Amino acid sequence: MAADAKSLLNGRKTAHVETEAEELRKEHLMLDPMPRDEMNDMVMEAMTTTTKTYWVWVIGFGIAVAVLLFGAWGYMIATGMGVAGIRRPIYWGIFIVTFVFWIGISHAGTFVSAILRVFKAEFRRPFTRAAELMTTFGLAAGAIYPLVHLGRVWVFYWMIPYPNARWLWPNFRSALEWDLLAITTYLLSSTIYLFLPLIPDLAMARDRSTGIRHFFYKTFALGWRGTEAEWTRLRKAIGIFAFAIIPVMFSVHTIVSWDFAVGQVAGWHSTIFGPYFIIGAILSGVSAVVTILYVLRKTLKNMDYFIRLEHFDGLGKLILIFSMAWAYFFFNEYLLSWYGGEAAVKQVLTLHATGPTAWVWYLMLICNVAIPWLFLWNKKVRRTPWLMFIITLLVNVGMYAERYTIIPLTLGHQRSPFDWGIYNPTIVEVSIALGTLCLFIFLYLLASRAIPLVPVWEVQEGQMAHSIRKVGKTEVPSVTELE
Amino acid sequence: MSNKISRRDFLKISGIGVTAAAVLTGCGPASRYVVRQSYVDMPEYNQTGKSTYYATTCQECPAGCGLIVRTQEGRAIKVEGNPNHPVNQGKVCSRGLTSVQGLYNPDRIGGPLQRTRGDRSSQPLTWEEAVSTVQNGLSNPEKTAFLLGLMPDHLFDLVTEFSETTGAAAPVRYSALGTLEGRATLLAASKKMYGTDQFPYFDLSAADVVFNFGADYLETWLSPLAYSRGYRKMRKQEFGKRGYIVAFGARQSLTASNADEWIPVTPGSEGLVALAIGQITARLKGQTIPALFAGVNLQAAADAAGISLQKLQQLGQLFANAENSLAIPGGAALTTSVGYETAQAVLGLNILADNLGKPGGVFLAPGTTSTASMEAVKTLIQRCLDGEVDTLFIHGCNPIFELPDKLGFEKALEKVKTIISFAPFEDETALVSDFVFPDHTGLESFGYQRLLAGTDRSTYSSIQPVVQPVHNTKSTVDVLLAAAAAIPALSANLNYTDEVDFIQQKISSLIQAGGFFTASEMPTFWSKWLQFGGWWKNAANFGTPRDATKLDLELNMNTPQKVTEGEEFHLVTFSTQMGDGRGANRPWLQETPDPQTTVTWNSWIEMHPATAEHLGIMDDDIVEITPIGGTNTIEAIVYLYPAIRPDTVAIPFGQGHTALGRWAEGRGVNPAKLWSETTNQAGELTISDTLVTITPTGRRRPLARQESRVGVYGDGEH
Amino acid sequence: MAELLKEQEETQKWGMVIDMDICSGCQACVTACSMENNVPFVGEDEMAYGRGLQWMRIRRYWEGEYPEVTPTHQPMLCQQCGSAPCEPVCPTFASVHSQEEQINVQVYNRCIGTRYCANNCPFSARVFNWFDYETPAPMNSYLNPDVSVRRRGIMEKCTFCVQRIVHGRQQAAAEGREVEDGDIVPACAQACPTDAIVFGDLSDPESKVSKMSRSDRAFKELEELGTQPKVIYLKGGKSYGG
Repeated sequence: MAADAKSLLNGRKTAHVETEAEELRKEHLMLDPMPRDEMNDMVMEAMTTTTKTYWVWVIGFGIAVAVLLFGAWGYMIATGMGVAGIRRPIYWGIFIVTFVFWIGISHAGTFVSAILRVFKAEFRRPFTRAAELMTTFGLAAGAIYPLVHLGRVWVFYWMIPYPNARWLWPNFRSALEWDLLAITTYLLSSTIYLFLPLIPDLAMARDRSTGIRHFFYKTFALGWRGTEAEWTRLRKAIGIFAFAIIPVMFSVHTIVSWDFAVGQVAGWHSTIFGPYFIIGAILSGVSAVVTILYVLRKTLKNMDYFIRLEHFDGLGKLILIFSMAWAYFFFNEYLLSWYGGEAAVKQVLTLHATGPTAWVWYLMLICNVAIPWLFLWNKKVRRTPWLMFIITLLVNVGMYAERYTIIPLTLGHQRSPFDWGIYNPTIVEVSIALGTLCLFIFLYLLASRAIPLVPVWEVQEGQMAHSIRKVGKTEVPSVTELE
Repeated sequence: MSNKISRRDFLKISGIGVTAAAVLTGCGPASRYVVRQSYVDMPEYNQTGKSTYYATTCQECPAGCGLIVRTQEGRAIKVEGNPNHPVNQGKVCSRGLTSVQGLYNPDRIGGPLQRTRGDRSSQPLTWEEAVSTVQNGLSNPEKTAFLLGLMPDHLFDLVTEFSETTGAAAPVRYSALGTLEGRATLLAASKKMYGTDQFPYFDLSAADVVFNFGADYLETWLSPLAYSRGYRKMRKQEFGKRGYIVAFGARQSLTASNADEWIPVTPGSEGLVALAIGQITARLKGQTIPALFAGVNLQAAADAAGISLQKLQQLGQLFANAENSLAIPGGAALTTSVGYETAQAVLGLNILADNLGKPGGVFLAPGTTSTASMEAVKTLIQRCLDGEVDTLFIHGCNPIFELPDKLGFEKALEKVKTIISFAPFEDETALVSDFVFPDHTGLESFGYQRLLAGTDRSTYSSIQPVVQPVHNTKSTVDVLLAAAAAIPALSANLNYTDEVDFIQQKISSLIQAGGFFTASEMPTFWSKWLQFGGWWKNAANFGTPRDATKLDLELNMNTPQKVTEGEEFHLVTFSTQMGDGRGANRPWLQETPDPQTTVTWNSWIEMHPATAEHLGIMDDDIVEITPIGGTNTIEAIVYLYPAIRPDTVAIPFGQGHTALGRWAEGRGVNPAKLWSETTNQAGELTISDTLVTITPTGRRRPLARQESRVGVYGDGEH
Repeated sequence: MAELLKEQEETQKWGMVIDMDICSGCQACVTACSMENNVPFVGEDEMAYGRGLQWMRIRRYWEGEYPEVTPTHQPMLCQQCGSAPCEPVCPTFASVHSQEEQINVQVYNRCIGTRYCANNCPFSARVFNWFDYETPAPMNSYLNPDVSVRRRGIMEKCTFCVQRIVHGRQQAAAEGREVEDGDIVPACAQACPTDAIVFGDLSDPESKVSKMSRSDRAFKELEELGTQPKVIYLKGGKSYGG
């Protein structure tokens, strides 16, 4: 079909039409088809090219993970939680901040992939895999924190409901218990959701590789041959998961927000925390997708073809919308405290803006509201990848500041001023936080050379469905429903 | 004799105790030779896993509160108050509670030592060698001197007996705590006004209006637990009567902050204020104004104190119109050059209020006492300088730490041939001694203490070991007796076999003296004595003060020193839970926050926020404090204290040790370095006359406070 | 249901009344608590960073302007809430309500150190063992054998001296009688020089605490949060009476 479209276009060569169609092709990946073999080779090439620099990065981040994350964590386990900067009354510091941050990041992967899939947003096709990987690795980085922040991590399994002689069960009323269950569910389901669309691509890689890679792809391709029955089942499975994972995603971040919202802490105990956290998570996650796409485009071979300005443009619009939504919830928090009238909450919120750490609050507002609103309405900005890279990085800085404000800064200004405290993260905490960032990058670096980062079959499927048609005198893109 | 009590006797005796309280003391052999036993070999009454309780007396300050110490498996676990004891009635303060941290302190001296002065090295000796060293000293009584602490205990009695027998100089007594309390001044003034050598007891419990001139009776003053109880009773009088307390002082102490009104008067003006109040009171009562109060000019007094005349009049009315008015002199008000006069003026107010010997008024605590004045210390220093002292025995006092540098005590010590310290810890004085023969700590020793303040009845509080000595220490009384036994001239007169024998002979007169228990002979008396934690009368036998002067005296009350505003400051030194400084090596005393500032583990200098602003000083800045007319300077961290006069700064006493173990050393500052060495009429150091200048150093160090600065004061910085 | 409620009422409900009118703020309770309960000392640096382990703290606020300035002292300890915010948030049931004593207990052995309970405590009454704190020998000799020493990574807090409650109850049972008012006294109340702290059974209307808790000066800290504290304060200070 793709070939048909191409020959169709080639058949009508007028100068005017030529330009218009070419412009469309240049703009839209779906309208710029390429022979399947060629595309497969492009993806294989991107995956198998490993330069010296690449290995330097891999080893560098590997060492960073070992030292920053596991070294510092090991030191903390051996010495005590005291090496972190937490204190009375701020018992949660940047461990939990970074935890929420990673869970937030991991949201967009699923959001972009599943929601856009369900709503058949066609521009999603080339980057769903990159986003899903981000979900899985973000969760992996985030899921470390519930362990890291435990005073006695060596007995962490007491949180797991397992039968035991003493009839001791975890407390299912505790939000932390929900957390454990939600994150486990999300990690499992998002991994499966990552794996399902990967199968045909693994089969493609299997057919084009030798040696250990071949063995690896052969194993994980589960004997995929591409029969009609296999495709039907795969589509059905993906369809089910795409629908099923959306409520899971919403519930996970709602539950993360309940860690705070079910507490009596002034500034936490709020019913809007669920949607507030979800919007925040999506804002930070979509931003992270853009950041990653920019890096992939820069560092992976042949990515210019797959990742185009249209994607930055589209994601930029999404970020603008979510920034606005986030701002609404932010405003809503103040609104609630205003008509709720609880003095303690009011005091906490006022102190965020006026206290000694007000710079965090301003940083949050500048990065999450001012910058997206000022720049992202502009198409030119949205279509300038390096600008988008900077803006999305800043959005994530702002989202980190938001969690920082919500957790240690709120805890530091509770009902009794005698107990107020200011929290200073220590080198150990910062090191562990950076360590998980390194872990995330490290995993992504490995994955970029191990699995096809572009879902080739999805792109090809999309390209087959799309074509440029002539309607009257103009040429317009058209799409065929495949299923 | 005591160790001959059989188990049957013990059971018989302990049966008596059942009626008394849930107090289970070990008696006789049990207490004399209590052993830290292994679990398999316990004394038979000492059941594994069951606690045994012993009654003894707190040795942390001279108040002499009765303690019940919970022991288990031969270890002292917890200090509790003795509910029957007339001073504290079951209550106990932070200092008493942490005495087990003194007992089990890892920095204790393990046995007798010979040491090089000023050096940390030392060689262990045997106790035989130690005794012969002491013997050498004692054999030449004219050339010996004793420096003791304030405790009126059996050691003091023994040393007094020794000096009386041999004609040696009477023991000199000193404690910085006594100075901070204005003890000598109070006693001298009491003698003058009430005609007797007894501490007055101020009965808060039934008072309507209390005018407190500087006495920190809720913190450390004389007998804080007895006064705390009085305070409670005063607040809970019949028919909801609550009393009204007015506190005078440049710095608001914990006691003053529990008053209903705090009048920040200039340091040194308390006497004038008291006289003025006396004049107003006498006038309002329609009496002829006694000579004592006649001379004062109200306006001048108000100006000197820095309060308005109207306020003064109002206070005078308050004092005059109350049914039971009471005036208490103490602390910083007495440690000035006019301290003696101030004390007389305040005691005179009580005479004017006609409350002597009446509920809510002034009584006399049973038991006469001698003043421990600075004059004696000065004489001792002079004797040392003149080479008249060959052997100096120091017990229960840390003069290098507690005396003003200006007195030159350390220099005088250089002239002393042999200095023997009995300190259980390596304190500053032990470091410059030739020998250290460590005494037991309070919970390991025998003894008694005569209670001179804070009790309503004649009381001898018993001290008994609750555990076997942790280290190879020996009771100083035993050491002295052993040494005396080898000197024929002494052994004839000091005829005691050992410490317990000495105590028993001393208390034998109490057997038939009408206490709350009696016995037919000493062994029974002794076991009850140990079991109940002492001996006291059945009922209160307060003395009634008499009006010795008829208020017919004139005082030469100088106006307080003037300071240049914003440049010079009055220095108030106040006492904390560290007491005379010996508390500084108890980690939990260090970690228990100061009640007013919540600061722990350090010293600070309290400064009014306005003063600090004027000097450009922030909270937690380090400043240098220089006494006017002195060269010693100290550095302290600033605490912006809202309840202090702007022309006054205040430093707590007790920190700034250069010795005394890991928890005390190198922590905070010692304000004694700044004190002036002059004394007032009663022979008390005039430490509150010290004027200082403050210079910022540009450095800062956050104080370890429990309060949140940002929360309580709205400070931006942490 | 009625029987159930009645039964609940009949169980002892330990409570405390702190009369702030006579509390002088002297900190004796703080030291007493620490010495009774093997609370480790942490040293100057840790204290300065807000990591003191005192189970009992005296909150001191300044009121008024010089020269009418005066501090208020409020002893603050675990309020042993009837509906405690710390309990439901613990994932391992380390913070639980004791049926027998009707107090909030911390099971040290079950605690994994999430510190959620401490965040959720409106009184900041809980403290965390940031490190293993050493009590150098022979100072460890005074440790109370009735109270566990806690290792690092564990939450702890005031227990109303539960070891004394248990001991008092056993003592009464051994003597074949009911526990009487005043039999059981926690370390803070025992030491309090002004007897400002009173402890007893709130379910017994005749007990001293019950009588005091009916005072018109009585209030509970942060009562509006509905945690049902069992520590009742009697309003004090110069604004009352006088």
